[in-house]
Parts: sequence; structure tokens; C-alpha cells
Amino acid sequence: MALLEIKNLSLYIPTGTEQVKALDKVSLTLAAGEIKALVGESGSGKSLIIRSIIGALPETWSVKADRITYDGQDLLNMSRNQRRQIMRRDIAVVFQEPTSALDPSVKISAQIQESIPDEFIDKGFIWQRWKQRQQISISLMHKVGIKDHERYLDCYPHELPTDISQKLMIAMALASEPKILITDDSTRGMESTTKTQILRLLSKLNKTKNLAVLFVSHDLLAVTNMAETMTVLYCGQTVESGKVKSLMKKPLHPYTKALLDSAPSFQVSLPPKSELIALKGTIPTLQHLPIGCRLGPRCPNAKKECVVTPIPRKIHEHQYSCHFPLHFPNVKGPDKEVHL
Amino acid sequence: MYKTSFRYLNLLFFTLLVLLTFSFFLPYLFPGDLISNMSGVTPATDAQRDALERSLKLDQSIFHQFGQYLKNIYEGEWGVNKVTFLSINSEVREFLPATIELVFYALVLAIFVGIPIGVLSGIKHHGIFDFTTVSFSIAGYSFPVFWLAMIFITVFCLQLGWLPTSGRIDLLYDIPTKTGFIMIDIALSDVDYKSQAYQNAISHLILPTLSVSIVTMAIFIRFVRRSMMDVMTKEYIVAAKSRGFSTAQIVFKHGLKNSLIPILPILALQVSTLITNVMIVETIFSWPGIGKWLIEAIYQQNYPAIRIGMLVVSVLVLVMTISIEFLTRLLDPNRENVEHATV
Repeated sequence: MALLEIKNLSLYIPTGTEQVKALDKVSLTLAAGEIKALVGESGSGKSLIIRSIIGALPETWSVKADRITYDGQDLLNMSRNQRRQIMRRDIAVVFQEPTSALDPSVKISAQIQESIPDEFIDKGFIWQRWKQRQQISISLMHKVGIKDHERYLDCYPHELPTDISQKLMIAMALASEPKILITDDSTRGMESTTKTQILRLLSKLNKTKNLAVLFVSHDLLAVTNMAETMTVLYCGQTVESGKVKSLMKKPLHPYTKALLDSAPSFQVSLPPKSELIALKGTIPTLQHLPIGCRLGPRCPNAKKECVVTPIPRKIHEHQYSCHFPLHFPNVKGPDKEVHL
Repeated sequence: MYKTSFRYLNLLFFTLLVLLTFSFFLPYLFPGDLISNMSGVTPATDAQRDALERSLKLDQSIFHQFGQYLKNIYEGEWGVNKVTFLSINSEVREFLPATIELVFYALVLAIFVGIPIGVLSGIKHHGIFDFTTVSFSIAGYSFPVFWLAMIFITVFCLQLGWLPTSGRIDLLYDIPTKTGFIMIDIALSDVDYKSQAYQNAISHLILPTLSVSIVTMAIFIRFVRRSMMDVMTKEYIVAAKSRGFSTAQIVFKHGLKNSLIPILPILALQVSTLITNVMIVETIFSWPGIGKWLIEAIYQQNYPAIRIGMLVVSVLVLVMTISIEFLTRLLDPNRENVEHATV
């Protein structure tokens, strides 16, 4: 049973005259206790998916989905208050820019204490409750690896280094003891020791607390070390998803292959000073999206059929959306489904 | 903290010094006799003239004159009103509280009505409420104050007859002046018609306060709304939403402070506009305040009164502006590193 399930999520953004389909039928499932990676270039719509899950989109944008469910409950059709309760207790998000995701005018201590749900405070009198909040927030800081809490509690966000802010964001996300943690590229631009610490922390929480993690990143090395399954996103379309190992070994979609090839750390036999393999062209802007498979114009295997959006197909646990998958030389042309 | 306070005091001191210097040189620039421009007394005999000259140290260097001027200002020897022959000091003491009272009420009204409306329409922007308030604030912003005051008098005093046209309180009520603030004076007095006196004073207060504060309120609404709209799209508001906080919690704990901090200095600047408007409105409503007194002094070419009136009003503006700036500085954590005090 999937804890979080997204089926055919499309997001429309109005741009003056027309509506841009920023996300095109994205599907994603996250099981309890799973670490799933969501990989894609910047601009591929990773953050948009997260914003759709938490429901923090501008009112003019419209979301259409077959379903977005958390633990069997439909997030799209429930009341605002119910959705808020789920966000309060069960789903937590760590945002991309820790320095801008912290309120600049409120002290760190107050911000952490605010994120502790009221249900956790069981003492009677107001000063005891205050003290308890303080203790919980200090233990949260210790949990994410901030040892000298005294130094940071009384600070404003702009006085903190980025890695401490990021750890604080994680601490605040963990405060409500959520079932799902969504991290939006939370290790970007961090030095490697801090990054390792945070990744280790996430894996530990996954093992001890059975925390499901949706790990959004474009750091492929971190993804392959941590995640069990991954979903690759290109330009608002899900391209391929499955176990990390099988995706690494046998990518079926040309984009996945190109993505893996472009990371030098995976190329064992890469001679020095040789040219890196990359797809031609750039990721298209939202105003000029190609029809059909959005990789089409850049894809080395593209044929006439690619102007039709491929239907996701599944081989065991491995799902892909491509008319001409790699490693399947016997498949000739698109199958019948496409013409329906 | 101490450093900051010191910097602001420093700023206050030097600005005051500039003002004092300027007001010191005013009587030299005015037409007419220097001695009567400075003291307000027109000497009748040569002996009187010599005595005045000596008391103002006009027989000594300009530095001595300036020193004597500062001493006089400090001791409250502000000269004599050329027209009424009363001491200017006692006149200012009588009229200034009335102005401060009006400024205070207008400011309170503008803040407590303008800011909540601005916040509401910033949160629910592009809704019916927002369009209504924006239209009203544009209209309110474009009214000239004196015109609005006269329309109020025509409609509410002359045609409907609901409210009195002029003054602070009817002559029937004999309230002894203690502080000069009519509301406090009524509270302090031991008359047995207090509630009627209050009613009467408030009915006198409504129109002048409204006509001054509508413009300021409109400005407040527009700035607060814009700032609130900006803040509500910030990443930390999205983060707060993702944590499932209630809308009230997000708006009050995270939205309000962050949206007010950047616009407080702009709002502080409006205080001086407000004081200017109060001075005009006082004349229209015959409100016995410093503005009406000063404008009368200008008509009568009453130079000693003009000089002191200008000094008093600019000190009032200066003190209010600097204290609001100082308050902003204390509220804004990001400005902790900014070393200099500015206005």
C-alpha cells in the first residue's frame, strides 16, 4: 500500500493568452519506509510537484490529477482544514533555500518551538509547558547534529551559516514526527562533510523511525547511495522510474542514459580530458514545449512516432515512457496502444 | 543597543542645532526693525531700545548673540507676540497641545483602521473587498485636505446639522485648562457634567480628525497592502503553510511583522505630511491649535511668533520622525549591522 500516491498529475500555469502545461501526467508513488529519489534537471518541475503535494500553489494555477492520496485519503478533495492537519502532522517538507525558508524576523528558538505540535506538550502549567518546548527544541537540534545549541537559539536566520540553517530546517520538519519527509534539493551547494552528515541522518531516520523520504535532487551520486527507487523527470514528464540499481544498470529511456552518462563519477573508464557525453540542445522553456514526448527534439533515437505522448509501460517494477526504449532491439515501432 | 541610541541622540542634537541656527538668523532676514522682530516689543524710547539691545546682546558679537538666543530659548523667554502682547511661550503652551491632540487622534485612526484594512486586502488581493478598498483609498488619496474639510462642513454641519462647525468644545462647558489636552482636562476637572462635556468634545473632534486622517489612512492602506502581497509569496510563508499552520498564525506571526518592517520608514515620513495637513485643517475648523495660530501670525506679519512657531513645529516633526525611525530600527533584526542613524 502506497503511503503517498500521485496519479497523472497535470499542472496548468496561465501565461497571459494561453495555459502552459508545466507538469504533464506525472505519476509517483511512495511506500511507507521507502527512500525514493526524484531526479531531474533544474526546471524539470521537481519543485512544482512538491508544491502541488503541499498545496502551496498560486490560486490562478490549476491542478488536475486522477488522484493525489495520502494513506488512502484524497488530498485534493478534502477540506482545507483536513489537509492542513495532514501537513501539520504527517508530511514535512525541507525547502531548497534554507535561508529564505526561515522567517527573517523571528528568532530561531521561536521558530523551532512553533513547529512542535501542541499535542507533544503534556505538562500542566504555562511555565512548565514553555520549558518543555525548549527542551524538545534543543533535543531536536542535537538530533540533526547541531551540538552547540546555545550559540544558535538566540540568533536571527541571517546570522546563521547555510548548513546550520539547513539542519534547522530538517529539525523543524522532524519536529512533528512525520511519516513522510520531502526534501527539495536540500544538499545543494553544501560542502561534502555536511552533506554526508545530512544524508546519513536521513538514512538513519528511515531505518529507525520508518520514515518515508522523497529525496528530490540532481546529485546522482547521493541518490545512488541512498535511495532504493527513483523517478526521473524531464520537462514536467515522468520519463522512467524503478529500482535505482536496475535503472543504473539498464536505463530504458534515452534521457536516463544521457543523465547517467553526463555524470563523470559513474564513468569508470573515462579517459582524462575526454569530452563529456551530453544531449544536444537545452531544456526547452515553458513557452516552447514540444508536443508529444518532450525529449523528442533532443533525443538521438527520435522518430516520427515521438510526436505522440508515449504511454507509460511497465516491465516488472520498472516503468518507462518511450516508444523506442533502449536495450530492446526487438521492439519495432510504437505498439498499438499509442494509436488509440 | 547603547550605540544605536547614542547615534540617534546625536542625530537629534545636530539637527536641532541646525534648526536653531536657522531660526536665529530669521529675524535678520525679515524686513523691519531687528529689535522688534526679535523681541516682539517696539521700543518707545531710546532708553528702552538700549535696554533691549543689551538684553539681546546686540551690542556684542554674533556668537554672543547666538549664545544669548540659545539661553533664551532654553529658559522659555521666547519673546512677546507683536499683536496680542502676550508671551509667546504661554501662547505656545496653550495652542500646541490642541495640535498634538489632533495629530494623535488622526494618527491613531489612520493606523488602527488603515493597517488592518491594508493587511486584509493584501491577503485577499484581487477580490471584491480588495477592489473596493483600493478604489476608496485612491479616492481618499486624491482629495485635497482643505477641500474635504469644507465638504464635510457643508454636508454634516450646514445641511444635516449633525456636528458643530468649529472649536474644540462649546463655550457652555467651562473646563479649566490644566494640560491643554481637552480629553485629559475633562477627566481631571471636577465638573458634574463630565459625560456631556465628553460628548460635546468628541462631536467637535470627529470632522477635523476624519478630514486629516483619510489621506494618511489611504496611503497606509496602499503601502501595507502592497507589502503584504509581496510577503505572502515569500518562501518562508510557503514553508509555514507546508507545516500546516493556520492562516491566522501565518499572517500574524510571519506575515505582519515582515510586511511592516520595510514600510515603517515610509509611514514615518507621512507623519510630517499629517502635521502639515493638521495645520491647514485647524484654520478651516477654527481649532485653537498651533497651526491656526501660526497662519494668523503669518497674515499679521508677526515675526517673533513666526520664528518660534516654525521652530516648535519643526521640532515636533523632527522628534516624531526620529523616534519612529528609532523604533523601526529596534524592530528590524536585519538592520543590526547598519551603524549609521539616518532620517
